[in-house]
Amino acid sequence: MSTSSNSISIFSYIRISIRYIVLSSLILILSCEEAEYELDNPYDPANMDLDPPALFFHPPEINATMNDTISVELYGLELGPAAAAQLRIRYEYEALEVDYVEAGPFFTGDNDPIEIVDEPSDGTLDIFIYYLPDMNSDQNEGGTWSIATVHFITKQIRGSALEWVQDSTRLRDENNLPVNIKDFGDGWVNVE
Amino acid sequence: MMSVIRGIIIAYLVTFCVAQEATKNVSFKTGNDLAVLRFEGWDISDPLTEFLTEELRETIRELDIFQVQDRGITNEVNIYYPRTKDYWACWSQECAVDLGRRLNVNYVIAGNIQKKEDNEFLINGRLFSVDMETLINEFAMNSSGITDSLLLEMKKMAYNVSGLPVPDTLSVGTDTSQVMTTDNIERKKDWFKLPPIPTKIKALLMSTALPGSGQIWVHRKYPGYGFMGTEATLGVAALIAYYQYNKAWGGFEKNYNAYQNGSDPHNLIELRPRVIEYASDTRKYNAFMKNIRSVASSIWIVNMVHAYLVAPSDDFFDGEYFFDLEYKPDVNQFQFNINF
Repeated sequence: MSTSSNSISIFSYIRISIRYIVLSSLILILSCEEAEYELDNPYDPANMDLDPPALFFHPPEINATMNDTISVELYGLELGPAAAAQLRIRYEYEALEVDYVEAGPFFTGDNDPIEIVDEPSDGTLDIFIYYLPDMNSDQNEGGTWSIATVHFITKQIRGSALEWVQDSTRLRDENNLPVNIKDFGDGWVNVE
Repeated sequence: MMSVIRGIIIAYLVTFCVAQEATKNVSFKTGNDLAVLRFEGWDISDPLTEFLTEELRETIRELDIFQVQDRGITNEVNIYYPRTKDYWACWSQECAVDLGRRLNVNYVIAGNIQKKEDNEFLINGRLFSVDMETLINEFAMNSSGITDSLLLEMKKMAYNVSGLPVPDTLSVGTDTSQVMTTDNIERKKDWFKLPPIPTKIKALLMSTALPGSGQIWVHRKYPGYGFMGTEATLGVAALIAYYQYNKAWGGFEKNYNAYQNGSDPHNLIELRPRVIEYASDTRKYNAFMKNIRSVASSIWIVNMVHAYLVAPSDDFFDGEYFFDLEYKPDVNQFQFNINF
């Protein structure tokens, strides 16, 4: 009788050991989470199919209703250092009306930039922005920044393309040399 | 002159008294760890010798005068004396003290059981002090019975060794007519007593729980500390890697959430490389942790196997265990034996 009870106890120990080993192995097998990600934000310039240095509208597509005030940023992507810019854009003047324009951080250094806005014809907007030199530099450092923001008021229910007039859009550095722009990204405003 | 002599005598007496007091305060402190070496059997079977030795061990342990070393550890002297089963023929003081030191105990009992004639046995035992390197006591007992009577004698010897008076229940004749008296011996009541675990299994379980502890328990200290240190080092490395991983994961989550919810191209273009870098870091540290885990688990398994192998094997035919896997050099093969 004692032999059988001892044999049972030995097997119960073996069973406990196996259970313990399996548990330990499970702990060892468990691992930390792998970082999974998708860089698919539509506002990420890398997803905009632009070849830098480039200029584009941000956001590229706006849905608005009548008499809304909408804001569109004129954005530079990986631009070189610049001291001044002329940005000419075209829009449907029957659909949109320019409310006001404000300079973005691209030309903002120690001083705020000088900004001149002109509308040479219906549906064309000219923005001249100049970097105001300070003790450190006569031009900015370039990069990806907003150059200016245009505020429109929607007038009619219809869509309006926002386009760059490439011949009259240019950037200059402190030596008045052209800053390279390889690509332009257009925008669209849909008034409903 | 008389007063001078009287003064000298008084001074002498005072000095003597103070000296007596002083000697009372000095005591030789020693531990009470005891190892009972397996008795040598002359003309009696190995299992019976082992059984009687274990009975002596158990009884001394129950009397609670000495801390009796576990049989598995005591028998581990095999490690020092690789020749099979000749270690218990340790009758001399030098041998017993040497083994006592190796076993890290304060006292050692060695002895033998001789069969004189039919049903006539002589049990000799010696108690050695390892600390004082001396033979403390020697016991000899005659028994005219078989197993049960021998058991009685071993119990009496346990009382003698422990310096306790032998109770009346044991002070009966030693002939075979007193066999039934063994049933009346009062044992300590164990309300909860785990069944005996084989030393190898115990070492295996210990090393499974804490790498190296099984080896240390069976006095294989260097490999034990080696396994423990290696696992500890790997554990620290894994912890550092985990800390770095956690840091990278925190950075990843923060930047990825900002990227997903952001709308400013300038911020997004700055967040993109950070997300990629932190994700790469988490993968790198995770891979490092996985490698450490693989190495650590392999070493862990090796440590478990090693603990099992280096632990002394118990004699499975001493009435406690059920099976035995034994190498028989005479037939050059392993044999699996079952005891019914």
